[in-house]
Amino acid sequence: MWKHAMKSKQQVTGAQALVDSLAKAGTEVLFGYPGGAVLDIFNCLPDAPFQFVLGRHEQGSVHMADGYARATGRVGVCLVTSGPGATNTVTGLATANMDGVPLVCVTGQVPLGQIGTDAFQEADTTGITRAVSKHNFLVHSADELPEIVAEAFYIATHGKPGPVVIDVPKNVQQALTDATYPERVSLRAYHPESSATSAQMARLAKLVNEAERPVIYAGGGVIASGAAKDVAALAHRAQIPVATTLMGLGSFDERDPLSLRLAGMHGTAAANYAINHTDLLIALGVRFSDRVTGKLAAYAKKAKIVHVDCDPASIGKNVRVSLGIVADVKDVLTTVSSRVKAAEHAEWLAQIEEWKRKRPMAYKPMHQHVIMPQQVIEAIDNATKGEALLVTDVGQHQMWAAQYFRHSHPRRFLSSGGMGTMGFGIPAAIGAAFGRPDRKVVAVCGDGGAQMTFEELVVAVEHKLPVTFVVINNSCLGMVRQWQELFYGKRYAGSILSVRGRLANERLEQDLKYDYLPDFVKLAQAHGADATRVIDPAKLEGVIRKAVKSGRPTLVEAIVEPRANVYPMQPGGQPVEGMIFE
Amino acid sequence: MKEELHRLNCFVENKPGVLARIVGLFSGRGYNIQTLSVGPTEDGTVSRMKIDVLGSDRVIRQIILQLRNQVNVIEVTVRRKTA
Ligand SMILES: Cc1ncc(C[n+]2csc(CCOP(=O)(O)OP(=O)(O)O)c2C)c(N)n1
Ligand SMILES: [Mg+2]
Repeated sequence: MWKHAMKSKQQVTGAQALVDSLAKAGTEVLFGYPGGAVLDIFNCLPDAPFQFVLGRHEQGSVHMADGYARATGRVGVCLVTSGPGATNTVTGLATANMDGVPLVCVTGQVPLGQIGTDAFQEADTTGITRAVSKHNFLVHSADELPEIVAEAFYIATHGKPGPVVIDVPKNVQQALTDATYPERVSLRAYHPESSATSAQMARLAKLVNEAERPVIYAGGGVIASGAAKDVAALAHRAQIPVATTLMGLGSFDERDPLSLRLAGMHGTAAANYAINHTDLLIALGVRFSDRVTGKLAAYAKKAKIVHVDCDPASIGKNVRVSLGIVADVKDVLTTVSSRVKAAEHAEWLAQIEEWKRKRPMAYKPMHQHVIMPQQVIEAIDNATKGEALLVTDVGQHQMWAAQYFRHSHPRRFLSSGGMGTMGFGIPAAIGAAFGRPDRKVVAVCGDGGAQMTFEELVVAVEHKLPVTFVVINNSCLGMVRQWQELFYGKRYAGSILSVRGRLANERLEQDLKYDYLPDFVKLAQAHGADATRVIDPAKLEGVIRKAVKSGRPTLVEAIVEPRANVYPMQPGGQPVEGMIFE
Repeated sequence: MKEELHRLNCFVENKPGVLARIVGLFSGRGYNIQTLSVGPTEDGTVSRMKIDVLGSDRVIRQIILQLRNQVNVIEVTVRRKTA
């Protein structure tokens, strides 16, 4: 080290220092889009030791970085220009922020001296992204760059993970610096360490040992902390059934008899009944979203609630807890498990079995020759033997993907949970494929959401990514249509995509040549991908199997029953008794 | 829920953007800050913010937890102010 310090320090541009720092921080793939305010940085990319992936819209680039991060557990990194480039990232950042995904997003900015002058492509990026990021930086000097990059990666990955924005003015990119990447990051005010005490651990073990009807309720925090195995160990030792949130799918193997599968608005009856009857809810890495709890006053009303989460602000936010522990889930479970006694809970498990038998996750075909959307998910499960890395968009198909796939491993179900961002699926699947080239990545999208970021399909084609894009085409914005059917008197305003079935003031020319627009098969082909349409239920699984096996970017458009709804459903704000099944 | 006047004392790193971040946690909820003063401490790199705001105990507690989560916030204390 001494030798290193004695070498005369070489000056590089801020842009070069930034690229070197990103490499030092472990960047393997950089997603992004160029523009005037980042040309100096792009000028350094040809010599960078990492790959650059050009998206087709900045929102797509951020979702790619997000999909990469969710699939690998590493930090997703992206680079965009100032002004419109930066504003286009907002939805992507908000999506990652809500779901606690570690990202570092570098944005270009006009030169420091021009900030505040309405310069060309100037936007107040730190102002705009403040509410949708975990933290952001405006860099004032090239000398600060290496340290800020190191801090950004640290902040993105410590405590509850999240996106961090680094806004770099153009003159800072051009200035010279000899600053080097720090060996260690120490932030004066940010110390998100565990505050679990041994008394809390003892209390937790005691509660578990005394419980008669315990339930583990596992969320995205279990996956983030790498604690899936520890959850399974605890569940098996004390025979505790496990329900998961949407973000927690894959944190516990659904083929395990102890699995209650998904809880919440579209969760299984068994999961929601069990939470309603439990005397101890062991909540691990969750935030008690309103999509899960329904009516708060009635939620888990017989239970003591133990809440373990790395985010102190999430504890006690929505539900009253008997014991709140601010800590990494894995740390807590490794300490507590040896103090938990083996148990059987035979009566409780028998009750749960009965709920599972009485109210299984099931659907009825509505027409013999029409594919049911749920069938598409089952076909993906079968065709990939449950091995798919499943990425979803947002809507009904997302819920069916949660319900009808047997989730078994962490980081194999990627979905925009908190933000519910349509347009997430295609780019996130592409990002996931860059991170996990060994996996069979399957994106499940609706016909609505697929159109929001379809342009990114080109990226899968250019890089020959083995991704299967399944568009479940129900010719409507299905989730909106479902709410209108159930709660708004079947007035389908703005939710019907096909020519037929539209309201009078949205009526289209009846002699329009197409019933479905766009033609997804032609659209995919125009982007250079293979594409097939499937209408016949008997051919469905074969088509998907072939697409997955081809190892090439392929789009499968499945024309499905448009009237299918997502059930069971516990409508927002309702208690579990309000669950509807058909 | 009953809204009462609270006095928050925040010690923060003296850096640009910190004030906006903190104020955003209140304004984003539709809360109106009644009095705000920011000044230096003896340690020039740390500023002290005094914030008086009307709010329910529950929401103020939540805001404090989120303030403590901020990267530049060193410490927050609160007391109820009798008007
Ligand atoms: C960007 C964005 N805009 C609007 C919504 C509201 N929204 C939620 S689901 C949905 C319908 C999605 O339709 P589609 O993609 O066809 O999926 P489906 O529900 O039919 O499976 C809409 C409009 C959203 N979640 N995201
Ligand atoms: Mg649809």
